[in-house]
Amino acid sequence: MRIRKEWTEWDDTLDAKSIPGAMGVYELADEDQRTLYIGKASGKSPFGLRGELFRHFSTSDRLARENWDHPRMGEDLPSVRGRARFYRFEVNHNYYSRWIEILTRYREDHEVLPPGNLEDPEPLPRLGRYHWKSEDAERGL
Amino acid sequence: MDFELSDEQQLIIDNVRRFVREEIRPLEADLDPDAFHLRPEDDERLTQMTKDMGLYQMDVPEEYGGPGVDTVTRTLVAEEMSQHRAGLYAPSYGVFGQGPQAQLYNANEEQKEKYLWPTIRGEKSGFFGLSEPSGGSDPARAIQTRGVRDGDEWVINGGKLWNSGADTADYGIVYVRTDPSKGRQGITAFIVDTDTPGFRVERLVQVLRAHYTTELSFTDMRISNDNVLGEEGGGFALANDYLARNRIPYSAAGIGVATYAHEMAIDWAKQRVTFGEPLASRQAIQWMLVDNEIDLRTSRWACLAAADKAERGLPFRFESSMAKLVSTEGAGRVVDRCMQIMGGLGMSKDLPMERWYRELRIRRIGEGPSEVQRIVMARDLLNIGSGSR
Repeated sequence: MRIRKEWTEWDDTLDAKSIPGAMGVYELADEDQRTLYIGKASGKSPFGLRGELFRHFSTSDRLARENWDHPRMGEDLPSVRGRARFYRFEVNHNYYSRWIEILTRYREDHEVLPPGNLEDPEPLPRLGRYHWKSEDAERGL
Repeated sequence: MDFELSDEQQLIIDNVRRFVREEIRPLEADLDPDAFHLRPEDDERLTQMTKDMGLYQMDVPEEYGGPGVDTVTRTLVAEEMSQHRAGLYAPSYGVFGQGPQAQLYNANEEQKEKYLWPTIRGEKSGFFGLSEPSGGSDPARAIQTRGVRDGDEWVINGGKLWNSGADTADYGIVYVRTDPSKGRQGITAFIVDTDTPGFRVERLVQVLRAHYTTELSFTDMRISNDNVLGEEGGGFALANDYLARNRIPYSAAGIGVATYAHEMAIDWAKQRVTFGEPLASRQAIQWMLVDNEIDLRTSRWACLAAADKAERGLPFRFESSMAKLVSTEGAGRVVDRCMQIMGGLGMSKDLPMERWYRELRIRRIGEGPSEVQRIVMARDLLNIGSGSR
């Protein structure tokens, strides 16, 4: 299943520490709360979910002010950069398999991956099939 | 029993060892710490290398095109090919090739054309559907999925749990109760295409390691009688020898990651200084390392003893269960001690130790828990059931 949490609108004045620095999975959405990207904060993500969300939403200036560095900062995902308005996340030690689960569910419901994932240079693992669509698909989410 | 390696065995071991250290381990630096796939271009390149080495699909019998590697050598190789971060559940990321499920060797010619050969060629993949929410260790009694004959077809209703790879598979071997009055003899194996109407992956079941299994449901799923694998009511008679044999190299994979962990702990103990002395000078650490060595050697001997008996055509069910039990429990203890020696570093995702720790815990349950292995051995000891030593 997808992440079962309400979307939160990004606020660039947000205190960075309010987002956990833990491993986990996250989704980014546009102003209509349609998913643009499904990501993971892996064991290699500097600053965990916090760092991942800031790399998508924030500017390199802000990251510099926070004294952070992210190896993928500035990576161009045109579907995400400037279009993402909402996020939701889930702290999960098994971020890798959970990430596959969410991608699999999304692809089955929409018959295509989120646009940001199609642009993402990170290769995707082989995704499976459920052979049925979820309620999210019925509701166009 | 002679454990001295032949020249050919030593050559194979050396090649696999070099391959893992020079080709697999360096790639892991750029992979996610929990990854179980290589990048496609690396996968293709390394698979070609194992084919060129003549070591592709070692678990496929020679008569089906495998390289004809004996069980003892496969056991030794399994220990080598797992000596990297993902090695326990994805030895060498699968570039040595994975054979089909052994039950398919019992398929008829038509089924072999449709499922076995495409699987050996890597064009299709299958899953194994035995366990249900009602249980897995005693499937003969636990299976509630029902199959009812309707002309040339069977109508199957029920579901399965803990099926790895069912979401990506093209087909599965599914065990179904076709005659409730016959107990064990009332279970039939079917080959089920995953695009059959009524087949659903209900959910991916997340577990302790960074992988998942599946929960499946079958609703009025109609399967042709042509897809019965083996005899009707003969589901449990399929491929017992192959399955028991394959359990031995499977057991050896745990020794592989534990050996790698042990090597890391020894290096660390020599260089890490506390209170003015290297850790290696402390008796507490020395004893942990010695206990590791005892666990590793005991496990290796248990696996090789089982492989040796299997290879010589002697009954090896007791030894196979013992190898599984001793190696999975021993490897778990080794990695636990190594984490203790390495302190905070052992827990971090900078090193593979924490991944092995989680995965080895599963190993004591998967493929028959330690308690079931003891039941099997007790039956042989007490001459209960059909076992013989």
